[in-house]
Amino acid sequence: MNKIMVIAEHRLGELTAATFEVIAAAVELKQTKGFSVNVAVLASNPAEFSAKLNIAGVDEIIEVLIQENQFQTDTYEAVINSLLDEYAPSVVLTSNSIDAWSCMPIIAAKRQCGFATDVFALNYDGDDLIATRAAYGEKMHVDLEFPDKETVLITLRGNTYKPIEQEASVPVSSFSAPSVNARTTHKRFIEPETTSDVDIAQAELLLSIGRGIENEDNIEQFEELADTMGFTLGCSRPIADNGWLPKSRQVGQSGKIVVACNTYLAFGISGSVQHMAGMKHVPNIIAVNTDAEASIFIIAKYGVVADMFEIADELINHFE
Amino acid sequence: MKILVPVKQVGIIDEDYEIRDDGKNVDVDFLDYEINEWDNYSWELALNLQETYGEAVEIVPLTVGPDEAEDVLLNCLAKGGERGIRVWDDALVDSDSMAIAQVIAKVAEHENADYVLTGTLSSDHSFAATGMCVAGLLNWAHAAVVSKVDITPDAQQITVNRELEAGIEEEITVESPAVLSIQLGINEPRYASLRGIKQAKAKPVEVMSHKDFGLTDAEVGEMGSLSKVRKMYAPEHSQAELIEGTVAEQAKRIAEIVKELKGDT
Amino acid sequence: MARDSKHDILFEPIQIGPKVLRNRFYQVPHCIGAGSDKPGFQAANRSLKVEGGWAAVNTEYLSIHPESDDTHRLSARLWDEGDVRNLRAMTDAVHKHDGLCGVEMWYGGSHAPCMESRCTPRGPSQYASEFETMTYCKEMDLDDIQMVQGYYVDAAKRARDAGFDIVYVYGAHSYLPLQFLSPYYNKRTDGYGGSLENRARFWIETLEKVKQAVGDDCAIATRFAVDTLIADAGVEVERDALKFVKLADDFVDVWDVNVGDIAEWGEDAGPSRFYLQGHQLPWQRFIKQVSKKPVLGVGRFTDPDKMAEVIRSGQLDIIGAARPSIADPFLPEKINQGRVDDIRTCIGCNVCISRWEIGGPPMICTQNATSGEEYRRGWHPEKFPKAGSDDSFLVVGSGPSGSECARVLMERGYTVHLVDSGEKIGGSTNSIATLPGLGEWGYHRDYREVQLDKLVKKNKDSQIALGVKPLTVDDCLEYGADKIVIATGASWNTDGNNALTHDPVEGIDTSTPTHLTPEQVLEGSKPIGKKVLILNCDPYYMAPSLAQKLTEDGHQVTVASGVSLGNYMHFTLEAPNMHRMMHELGIEVIGDVWASKAEANRIQLYPIFGDGYRREYRGPGKLPRRENTHFDWHEFDSLVVCTGRHSNTELYEGLKTRKDEWAENDVKGVYVIGDAWAPKLMADATFDGQRLAREIELDDPQHPKPYRREVAVWGAPHMPGDTFEIEYES
Repeated sequence: MNKIMVIAEHRLGELTAATFEVIAAAVELKQTKGFSVNVAVLASNPAEFSAKLNIAGVDEIIEVLIQENQFQTDTYEAVINSLLDEYAPSVVLTSNSIDAWSCMPIIAAKRQCGFATDVFALNYDGDDLIATRAAYGEKMHVDLEFPDKETVLITLRGNTYKPIEQEASVPVSSFSAPSVNARTTHKRFIEPETTSDVDIAQAELLLSIGRGIENEDNIEQFEELADTMGFTLGCSRPIADNGWLPKSRQVGQSGKIVVACNTYLAFGISGSVQHMAGMKHVPNIIAVNTDAEASIFIIAKYGVVADMFEIADELINHFE
Repeated sequence: MKILVPVKQVGIIDEDYEIRDDGKNVDVDFLDYEINEWDNYSWELALNLQETYGEAVEIVPLTVGPDEAEDVLLNCLAKGGERGIRVWDDALVDSDSMAIAQVIAKVAEHENADYVLTGTLSSDHSFAATGMCVAGLLNWAHAAVVSKVDITPDAQQITVNRELEAGIEEEITVESPAVLSIQLGINEPRYASLRGIKQAKAKPVEVMSHKDFGLTDAEVGEMGSLSKVRKMYAPEHSQAELIEGTVAEQAKRIAEIVKELKGDT
Repeated sequence: MARDSKHDILFEPIQIGPKVLRNRFYQVPHCIGAGSDKPGFQAANRSLKVEGGWAAVNTEYLSIHPESDDTHRLSARLWDEGDVRNLRAMTDAVHKHDGLCGVEMWYGGSHAPCMESRCTPRGPSQYASEFETMTYCKEMDLDDIQMVQGYYVDAAKRARDAGFDIVYVYGAHSYLPLQFLSPYYNKRTDGYGGSLENRARFWIETLEKVKQAVGDDCAIATRFAVDTLIADAGVEVERDALKFVKLADDFVDVWDVNVGDIAEWGEDAGPSRFYLQGHQLPWQRFIKQVSKKPVLGVGRFTDPDKMAEVIRSGQLDIIGAARPSIADPFLPEKINQGRVDDIRTCIGCNVCISRWEIGGPPMICTQNATSGEEYRRGWHPEKFPKAGSDDSFLVVGSGPSGSECARVLMERGYTVHLVDSGEKIGGSTNSIATLPGLGEWGYHRDYREVQLDKLVKKNKDSQIALGVKPLTVDDCLEYGADKIVIATGASWNTDGNNALTHDPVEGIDTSTPTHLTPEQVLEGSKPIGKKVLILNCDPYYMAPSLAQKLTEDGHQVTVASGVSLGNYMHFTLEAPNMHRMMHELGIEVIGDVWASKAEANRIQLYPIFGDGYRREYRGPGKLPRRENTHFDWHEFDSLVVCTGRHSNTELYEGLKTRKDEWAENDVKGVYVIGDAWAPKLMADATFDGQRLAREIELDDPQHPKPYRREVAVWGAPHMPGDTFEIEYES
């Protein structure tokens, strides 16, 4: 039987939320073709993670014992290579994470198997796997195919698949990790300074500012507006890079994925791919930007082509 | 120490555009071009190393692209570096990250590079893979999404920070030679001066074909890619409902929507 | 690009009497400083707009007779054949571009002081003008009425001869027909006074006579102030205007409606400080309820969406514009081509109007540096001569002058590197536009920002570098540019240096915690105490604007001024409401005082007229008058020093000092423009930038080349067939 192999991911002792989304994707894909879903977890204590992988639709949990718990790219590459040699899955799925970016292309390069990243839809057209992703800053969609590739590696876009709630008892097997020549060594993790006690990932209402703010001095007006409206203040990457707001306020792939957000009010944010990765799932996005062509309007529910400062001046009057 | 810096000329879609006849890409006539934003940072990193260590370091920009792509090399050479390399051949059209990486890997070998610095991803297709594919082909140590770097010439090992999700960073050591993909914000890219731009035009740019490196057509282009485009299309998405009117009217409407969503009367 | 279909309505033709307007864009009569004496300027300025898509253009107010003489202010005139000849230059030029042109026939009454003609003006009753208070008029008897109505008819015929398509009877801004209609002026008890019908009689008879004379050939227009904004003492829109329009409708082909009077005509030409676009609509919209004829009106309409909405909703049929047509003569064409983001939006500063108010100078425009330069310098706002060389440019500073210079150089095809230490283009505009009411002044920066971003994409060697550390003399020399333009602006004086004493004020030092410059106030970097004293010696908006801003922020503000506060704002029509604002906010103004010395929390002021009025020579070292002995200490928590500005000349002077190094660095020239040259109006700084860019190929481009003048030509008489030699009667 053909297999769909999922590479589970974890950090600092927790399986990533994305892992569960990937499993859901794998299970969805398996329905159409009657494949099996085999989830591999690499850890120094894999049993602790296996316990959380008892999800309906998963056919096997493969525990791989490795030396260190944190991600090491050569290790993951060697292990996944061996897994591929042993299991020969048709599809290998992992999330579009930064760890995945490190090791998946290596595997693809060495094996010359099918490969695509940041995929948000997977379908079979007959026996052909079609992977859909975006291009030109979300303006276009692209359907990719992988003719003559027996194995296809896919990294999946986050917040696209809904994790499966239902549990099941899944058989566990062990897999021996090969020896690895690790050429990178972990030294330490550096957590961001949380100068605020706010975790924007928990906020339901977010008011986010982007490059349109232009000047650090202008932030105060939007802090006040957010406060008055009962919203939490967030920002896009350039604002945090400039040090105008703490990194803990940054929304985006390398910032926070605002999972709890229900309403996202974006001021002067054009919508870079990595920013949208953090918030495109939000059901109610209201975007204010002077540029009618800004990518954010593609994912927004409501669009306002206007000057963010003028809108802010007026908007606050409705909330005093 | 020799640092090879692949830089990319990316396409931006204008308002009006048309899809190519074969349906696989936007018609290039409707694209504006600019240098990939991330590549400004990787090139700036190279420039800083060159300035710090002087003659011990050689930095070389490389692009895989047609004639127009030479602009991005000039853009780099206007800021520093003594020469550039451009590789092109019609067979390279429609190359994915892997196919491009084949070329970059060969150039790296040919140049005896110690480091290859790429951008984390490019703004047109955002595959985020080219740099790491190069590492795979060369079998070099590698790190992606690098936000801080400490490189000294002749070092066997360097220290870098990887920028992870949720604002966390990881400090690791990496053996050299290495491929690093560089993240935004690692430095502040400089502007070129007119003198630099003038001087850049006089710096040599070697133009070669993939064949000069022993690559066959089958290893590049669509044939050498690990994915093939079946179709590119404008997505049918529910358009954002545009709120029109005067600023006062727009703000009023936003307030109404927000209050509705909050559950206020 | 294509026109947005929601703007289609603006391009539908409309009939006015015997003429057809090809679209709904109509330049109402407005002053430019050309009149009939500068026919080239008149013809070029107006016809350019027709080229830019305006369906009709008008002269400024047009005097029908020497009895209506506004000297020192500049009106057009149709007194005689000489004027007909001169104005034909305009009608020919306008017709070449398929537009219509009109004259606004004007009789001022007491408001026109007749300082050139020495005539005695006539009016409905005798009164002293509230606008030109020295001038009284004669009360018109029936003979006077016939005569003056005859003046209108004769002028209308001359207008037709000159080729005009539209002829106005001008009854807005408190001129004669409105003086009859308004009980504020008309105290008559005969058939021309009392009831509304009687008060309307003069106007309607005049319209009838003019229509009879030229109505088959020309469209009869009338400009009507539908409400003079003084409640029932004047004309009120619902009580009076609706009735009047019904009475006059048959004789009018197109109504041009506004509000206000002459003494405060800033209620019509509302500055953006106080009024938003469309601010007159609440009054104007009544007229279409009763008139069967097309109605047009102004309101500083700048946004095509708003314009279309106004017509669609039945408030007006035609969009009238003066200032928006000055800021962008090509506004209609740009809307037609779907190039809305290329429109130079009027910022509503009224600097154009200020030139007419000052009396005499040609019009200038802060947004459009080519305004007034069409004829005398041959500048077209949308056309630029190709670059005369391969020179590359470094422009240091992206404020009004730098951004304009870079823009025009790039339009001409030059390679330009524009550099600014700020994060955004615009220089001081960025902070000035944050002052209360001055947000629309930011359109000046917006236009240049949009254009520069477009232009820099067209030349890959050009560059805009923002947020870089300030350039040094070495940086400039090594930059690699052939020519360097220094646009580093000006700063407010930190030591109290001022126009009255030309020296600092002892003790003023804005590096200390309690003394601030306007820049420091706008930056918000320094704490400001509750009680603020603004020491002012500047004639324009900075002190009043800061006073308003600080009061609105919760401070208690006093302004001590050595010059008339906001004096220039009289000319921009902002003064009345500015004074009302100061009064309403409780801002104390101490006028005619200056400062002798200052300390951390108090300043010593003295009356500038405190010295003796009798003068005698008393020898060296002694004032020739009794010296002032009256000094008062005033306390404050913070002192804002608004005493004057100085150019930021460090970079320019540094480069000039090292001129001997230019050649080895391939630097061919270094120039200074804008406030860095000398502090000036934003309009003039912008002009500097455009002029240098256009005249850069001169041997000495730093200094303007002569422009074409229009003056009386000795040997050519004004009147055809007349003599020119000196002749006395005997």
